[in-house]
Amino acid sequence: MPADRPYARAGRVLAPWRRAAGYLLPLALLIGGLVLVPVIGTVIQSAFRDVVFLPRSFVGLENYARLLDDPAFWQAARFTVLFMLASVPLELVLGLGIALVLNQTFVGRGLLRALVLIPWVIPAAVSGRIFERIVASGEHGAASWLLQRLDLADQPVHWLGSEAGSFLALLVADAWKTTPFVAIILLAGLAQIPVTLYDQARVDGASLWRRFTAVTLPLLRPVLVVAVLFRMIEALRIFDVVYVLTGGGPGGTTTSLSLLAYAHYSAGDLGYGAATSTVLFLVTFALALVVVRVGRFGRELS
Amino acid sequence: MSERRMRRLLLGLGILGTAGFCLAPLVVMVATGLASRPDFLRADVPFALTLDHVRSVLTDPTAHFLAYVRNSLVVAALSASLAVAVASLAAYALTRLPLPGKAAVLVAVLALSMFPPVSLLGFLFRAMAQLGWINTHQALVFPYAAWTLPLAVWVLVSYFASIPRELDQAALVDGCTRLQALRHVVLPLAAPGVFSTLLLAFIFAFNEFLFALMLTTDHAARTLPVGIALFEGLHGQVPWGEIMAAATVTTLPVVLLTLVFQRRMVQGLTRGAVKE
Repeated sequence: MPADRPYARAGRVLAPWRRAAGYLLPLALLIGGLVLVPVIGTVIQSAFRDVVFLPRSFVGLENYARLLDDPAFWQAARFTVLFMLASVPLELVLGLGIALVLNQTFVGRGLLRALVLIPWVIPAAVSGRIFERIVASGEHGAASWLLQRLDLADQPVHWLGSEAGSFLALLVADAWKTTPFVAIILLAGLAQIPVTLYDQARVDGASLWRRFTAVTLPLLRPVLVVAVLFRMIEALRIFDVVYVLTGGGPGGTTTSLSLLAYAHYSAGDLGYGAATSTVLFLVTFALALVVVRVGRFGRELS
Repeated sequence: MSERRMRRLLLGLGILGTAGFCLAPLVVMVATGLASRPDFLRADVPFALTLDHVRSVLTDPTAHFLAYVRNSLVVAALSASLAVAVASLAAYALTRLPLPGKAAVLVAVLALSMFPPVSLLGFLFRAMAQLGWINTHQALVFPYAAWTLPLAVWVLVSYFASIPRELDQAALVDGCTRLQALRHVVLPLAAPGVFSTLLLAFIFAFNEFLFALMLTTDHAARTLPVGIALFEGLHGQVPWGEIMAAATVTTLPVVLLTLVFQRRMVQGLTRGAVKE
């Protein structure tokens, strides 16, 4: 009976899943209930005027129209993209440098590898406060003190008072926190490059630099691409360090999209906050799809 | 300069630079936390060591520091255990049962982990408020567990996949149920992987900031990162000595964990992100 065939096929696909339900249900419930439903719920919320203590009303795309006319939104979008464009290359170069060092054999290599992990395991809120202390204005801030000692500045620098200073402070604080992750991922990639390739290149008379550009970089490319995409996604959703270090200031110039959405939420404007985070979600999701395509994940199972 | 000498020089500079990069901010933190005056860099202020700030952070009842420590430990331990338990079950099914299209499920789980946390927040806040869970541990435990699950599933799948199937098949032939095979064969063999996953999930939960900021209101449930971020003086002046002392006390256990278990953590991280 040809009509039955599609059902039979669906059954063949579904039956094993039904038998595995006991193992996968907890996962589905937790992720479905606490990630998927909230994301969809937030998207739906963005179609409402949803202000605390006021009756909810459906407004369609009005929140999004409001966003397009909102200079604060464009300022946050501009900052978020600029920050991603500045921080990801910086972290990549630093991370690659550290990975190349850790890939050598020397006494104390294990200790150095542990040291590299430390910035990554410290809460971003805590490292934000450490950098707040470092860039403190006046002569007791460590960054100002150092610049004056090196005769690069003749008076204390008020880092967080200017847009450029705040941006720089965030860039350094974020690089400190996230470069270790990049370094560890790249180190794993370096470890997979066969040593014989280097020996061969050396026999062929290739210089240190030439071996780096002709062997290391091309073979590291797949891992580099994954690291870049992961970091881009994380940079786009930056929140912790901005909230703690600059609070989005001065004058909103370092407000990220996440911080702007949070500000709308905590001001009680849930619908508008939801619209702001939905925009961020769509951009990140598009990037995530690229990651999944490029990374070719899940090969080991098939 | 010969290539050998150049290499040695570069390596030496690299080691120094790496160590300096990682340690310099920590030096500022510890020095400020232990200095009698936080503005010790000024020419006219002498540097003197003291434990006063550490003591005051630990004992001052209005700082609630110990309550934050307790909340952070409870939330991180519970959510990491929940995530690893749920992820173990899922990873067992995904590596041992013949499920058509399971690679797609794994990839979908991975994509979920890339959502910006703020895009869950509006809905989550409303839901937690309706449940009356705002400012409770469970308001953080369940979202954290869900949030770390993708990572946990990925790491555990890669560990479970590397354990020969013949071993748990033998257990099944001997009359074990699948759950018994998971508990008595796969989990013990994957113990290093399970431990790495537990460690990473714990660190993720311990460090999380945005949910904790939005879903807690005071020391009954507030975690350390939020407590330290919102730590301000009563009299207008920022109490840097106390803040950095609190940061030092917070950082110490994580740093010790890292020094002891760095190999495990690196393994877990790279299993999750780089496929061999």
